[in-house]
Amino acid sequence: MESKTVEISIAGKPVQTKAGETIVHALWSAGMGDAVKTGCVGGVCGACTVTIRFQDGRPGGTDLACLRPVEEGMEIFPCPVESTLPIAPSLEPGVESLQVAFPTLNRCTKCGSCTAACPMSIPVMDSVLRMQNGKFEDVSEDFTTCIHCGLCRFVCEDKVKPHNMGLWVRRSLGMSRDNPSLDQVSSTQSDDKVEQEWSYLLTGDPQERLRRAKYFREHGSREA
Amino acid sequence: MDWAKDSLKKVSATREKRAQEPPPKLTDEEAEALLNEFHPDYLGMERTVGVGPNAGEQKFPLELAELLESDSPLPRDYEPVISLTTDVLILGGGGAGVSAALTLAESGFCVHLATKLRLGDANTVMAEGGIQAALGLEDSSRRHFSDSYAGGHGNNDPELLRILCEQGPKSIRWLSHLGCLFDQNEDGTFRLRAGGGTSIPRVLACRDYTGLEIMRVLKDAALLTSTKILENHSAVELLDDGEGQITGAVLWDRASRKLVSVSARAVIMATGGSGQLRLQGFPTSNHLGATGDGLILAYRQGCRLLHTYSYQYHPSGSCYPEALAGQLVTESIRAIGAQMLNVHGERFIDEMIYRDVVAGAIIREVAQNRGVQTPTMRAGVWLDTPLIELKKGPGTLRRQFPGIIHRFERYGIDPATHPLLVYPTLHYQNGGIRIDPSGKTDLRGLWAAGEVTGGLHGTNRLMGNSLLDITVFGRRAGQSVMWEIPERRAGTLTGLKKFREGLKGIQHPSPRTAPLLFPVASKMKFQLAEEPTDEPASAIETSSEKKSFREPPDPFGGM
Repeated sequence: MESKTVEISIAGKPVQTKAGETIVHALWSAGMGDAVKTGCVGGVCGACTVTIRFQDGRPGGTDLACLRPVEEGMEIFPCPVESTLPIAPSLEPGVESLQVAFPTLNRCTKCGSCTAACPMSIPVMDSVLRMQNGKFEDVSEDFTTCIHCGLCRFVCEDKVKPHNMGLWVRRSLGMSRDNPSLDQVSSTQSDDKVEQEWSYLLTGDPQERLRRAKYFREHGSREA
Repeated sequence: MDWAKDSLKKVSATREKRAQEPPPKLTDEEAEALLNEFHPDYLGMERTVGVGPNAGEQKFPLELAELLESDSPLPRDYEPVISLTTDVLILGGGGAGVSAALTLAESGFCVHLATKLRLGDANTVMAEGGIQAALGLEDSSRRHFSDSYAGGHGNNDPELLRILCEQGPKSIRWLSHLGCLFDQNEDGTFRLRAGGGTSIPRVLACRDYTGLEIMRVLKDAALLTSTKILENHSAVELLDDGEGQITGAVLWDRASRKLVSVSARAVIMATGGSGQLRLQGFPTSNHLGATGDGLILAYRQGCRLLHTYSYQYHPSGSCYPEALAGQLVTESIRAIGAQMLNVHGERFIDEMIYRDVVAGAIIREVAQNRGVQTPTMRAGVWLDTPLIELKKGPGTLRRQFPGIIHRFERYGIDPATHPLLVYPTLHYQNGGIRIDPSGKTDLRGLWAAGEVTGGLHGTNRLMGNSLLDITVFGRRAGQSVMWEIPERRAGTLTGLKKFREGLKGIQHPSPRTAPLLFPVASKMKFQLAEEPTDEPASAIETSSEKKSFREPPDPFGGM
């Protein structure tokens, strides 16, 4: 496959790019790296939000510039989303405390823009409805893959803040969760044995220590 | 992927049979031979440098050596005028920096965190596979230590490593209290997976978005503290008092292109790694800012660097499609059963041994023409992801690895039915600034934590030990600063002046300036506004507020 040239435009300015590369890499090659705010270049930090349009009627929309390959005739507009100050999570999460934290919770008019805008394919609008109904475990699951790019909040005409609420729900559930297995660990091991094992592993020259580490990891304990 | 259909046929033809087969065996000697012959660290693409505390002694990769011998981008006549005064200046907005900030939140100190990009845009957020902690019933901190020590070839600082392993369970507790949700078994215990080189399952995860989960929670928590965040502020030089104590930093505000000199009683270096140096032309899994800035700044001031010749090439970087080249396919996918195969559909390595050995084996297959050639001029080996569905049942990938599915589906590749092509990708800087167990560097006033430090991981890091590293040592650095913060001293560029004197002895000085701040490929670089004067302090505070928190007025805000 030879590298084909593809013409795109960024904020109205035409740019020649190589087929197959992402918008971010195309901008780098063109010396326009500053045109779109960029972070991880791997689709998880949410910095490089853009809107995309095609003159010929192909569907455009919002996306992450670091994951989206260039296409002929693609018109790209930087769409940076400012972050907002978070709201402290609650140790007693419920619809009421969520409503207090986010007064716009019930303003959702079910237009579906948030779901359409989400580059992670999260069913955002459905999840907002689940928030209204207190189905927090499901909400927590929905927002597992949320990168907090903020597009769902950005496009919402009713000032609903889905991703902020999603994180609030997740953190609140997490903070109020018991983790009994964490308490078991410290109580099951006798101090003497622990100290003996450490002294076994930390004694000797580097070669000997490496040999001992290899023995220990294979047998799960020190030599008798 | 029609161009590979013959090879793919072989892969699917042998799948059922392979599913039950044990991995190929490899002796210690064979593993060593693989590393010596094929691992990029062992190919001699390194040299000593002529300046600084490691001069003429330790070797550095050529790309890093050049930067260590480069001049500062600061104008020669630049004299710092302090425009911002704080108690603690944290450099870096990833997991280590934010953990330190959270630890200092109740200290009463004024804390500023400066980050080159936005808060959280870091390698932490990109970590997929998980975080290690000795929580299994048969597990122990000593076993965790043994695995990591053997993996690091015995080059690890035993004291640092012991702390890391002992603090594992406590770190998970801390993260859980902050609200991190780690995957659980049905009985409510944490689900533990194997990682390359773990002798027992020890890796906790949140699907294949573990770093994202940790980073978004840390970030959320930090924004609820009084920490002041300076986004888009790159550190370009450290300030010192003229007597070897670090007293602040010169930052470059990318938006205004002006310099900001900060006076601080303590500086915590948490600037992360250097994968964007793309050593030997390797692709990288790292974020935009991973250009090793912290190494350069600390080295200039006299901090010794440890093991900086050692880098981690993650065995499974994607190498097709081109848009995903270098991006990570988590090791966990091998932990639950995906095998690696060459062009003939043959297994060539135990996929779950140490990362450096697996990477060496892949490079060998390709070098000896048993790799799969892509039409985009790359070559790799198969990662047989459909095998997971065969072994663990249909739908397993989608449930446990939504990230992989999401990324490849965009390109018409469904990892549940189609193997992925992978090749090692530059992933982690094993070495870095020398620290003591409290995170102190060789210099008074300067602490360091996370990927920018060296010693902990020896010369090969285990999966899941870096997310643990940032939480354990980020917090320790914060605590140490709390107890031992020095008095404020003058902020000068004496260290830089001395370094510049030393540079005069370099025969072939580099035309570059360092720190790089951005990858060479991005063509973005340090550039000063017409008049390189300092900004007044008030401008910074407001501009940072504007950047982070500006929103249209919320009519329901008061309800």
